[in-house]
Amino acid sequence: MYSKEELFLAISTVLDPEVGFNLVEMGLIYDASCDADGNAYVKMTLSTKACPLHQLIMQWVREAVQKMAGIKSVEIDLVWEPAWNISMADEHVKQALNRG
Amino acid sequence: MFSISQDFAPPFKLISPFFIVGSFFYLAAVFYIFSIAHQNISLLDAKILGFVHLFLLGFVMMVIFGAMAQLVPVVLEVGHFGVELFYAIWPLLGIGTVMMVFGFSYPMLLPFGGVVVLIAMMIFVMEIFLTIRKVEKLTLVMSSVLIANIFLFFGIIFGLVMSLGYAGMISIDIDALLRSHVFLVVVGYIVVTIMGLSAVLIPMFGLSHGFSMRPLKIAMTMIGIAALFVVASSLGGIGALAYFGYALSVAAMVVYFFFVRVIYKTRARKEIDIYAKSLLFSYVSFMVSLVLGVLYFLGAGEPFILSAGWLMFFGFFGFIITGHIYKIIPFLVWFERFSPLVGKQKVPMLADMLPQKSSSAQLLFSATGVVVVAVALLLQNEILIKAGASFLLFGVFAFVKSVFYMINYK
Repeated sequence: MYSKEELFLAISTVLDPEVGFNLVEMGLIYDASCDADGNAYVKMTLSTKACPLHQLIMQWVREAVQKMAGIKSVEIDLVWEPAWNISMADEHVKQALNRG
Repeated sequence: MFSISQDFAPPFKLISPFFIVGSFFYLAAVFYIFSIAHQNISLLDAKILGFVHLFLLGFVMMVIFGAMAQLVPVVLEVGHFGVELFYAIWPLLGIGTVMMVFGFSYPMLLPFGGVVVLIAMMIFVMEIFLTIRKVEKLTLVMSSVLIANIFLFFGIIFGLVMSLGYAGMISIDIDALLRSHVFLVVVGYIVVTIMGLSAVLIPMFGLSHGFSMRPLKIAMTMIGIAALFVVASSLGGIGALAYFGYALSVAAMVVYFFFVRVIYKTRARKEIDIYAKSLLFSYVSFMVSLVLGVLYFLGAGEPFILSAGWLMFFGFFGFIITGHIYKIIPFLVWFERFSPLVGKQKVPMLADMLPQKSSSAQLLFSATGVVVVAVALLLQNEILIKAGASFLLFGVFAFVKSVFYMINYK
């Protein structure tokens, strides 16, 4: 129903309030898919297991996908392998964080 | 899907009193410095003891306890056993601290203040122990929380026994017990808590990855052994044993310092904000304090240990706490006030909630004050101490202003 790119685009509206970048450019969204019936699946991680916003971030991702027309359900798979590191982020994020 | 902690952010109204009351105690402690005369500048002077308890209990412990209400679920990955118990902790700790501070001038008050503080700390320690019981598998950082609270438990027992002796109710060797009391509370609880939490918080804010936790494990093991030496020296009356403990704990802290340095070096986020600057000053103070402490034990005079203690308390503890307050309060306020609005309207980033001018003023004036007083203590110069305290006073006023700015951010 939706391609991975379309799902990523929807999720890119979710910002990490600590660093100010969206989850997709941070490299925190590993995969996303959606079947013909509108059942979406998002595989993601967080920059740390100790993230105190983890429940909210997952909720924001779910809401961002649910806003897409025809979506019936959203399954979020929060994984810790592979562990996130800065090399997964977009180049402009790396440069901005590196500049300080 | 892996589930992690629930209830990561307790209600802000539960935690905010700890930060507000703590910052006023910080201010009171700096005011107190102006009442310290030249003849009071010695390790066991009643005025100095009152001052140390005002700062450590009223500010350091108060803020740590408040921060732990939020950080324990983050670190332990389980919800609190009874987070409502924290409503009772800050009033008891505040009242007990005031009674104890006066108690060093009016000794009959001391054990009563001590008991009130003991009750506050027991509630805290028991809540933490019962929360830890919910954890299925302890990680190194979780173990640090457990170990620190065991040290605190025994540290306050030593303190209560000492206060009874100080008031003349029982006959004990206060000096011998003092070693264990100071070591268990300051090194055992405060330093181990900082060690454990910094392994979570510094990488989280700096986006550091790929560092080894082994140095932290080594440092904590060394402090555990050091604590056994110090307590054995108190109970067995063998003063020399304590020196093994002190040497071991200094070595542990050096190992810990290099652990933090590796985290700092591996960070992806290079921004030197108020948090990073506060931490840099705190760790420099920490290392200078260790050097002065070692020089004292090598035979330098009492001014060296006074200056070392000052740098450890006001430099290391003070700045690592204020630095984290600039992260914790905006998060809690944002979580409560703005997170429900995400997706509905534009919300501020956490960095937007920081008061740039007052936080910078706090850092500049407080750091200057800490350095001037540290030098003044080495020189035993009362005028210079008051000059340093004047800088610090401006700094702490700016800090209190920053705390209220962040709490009232709309």
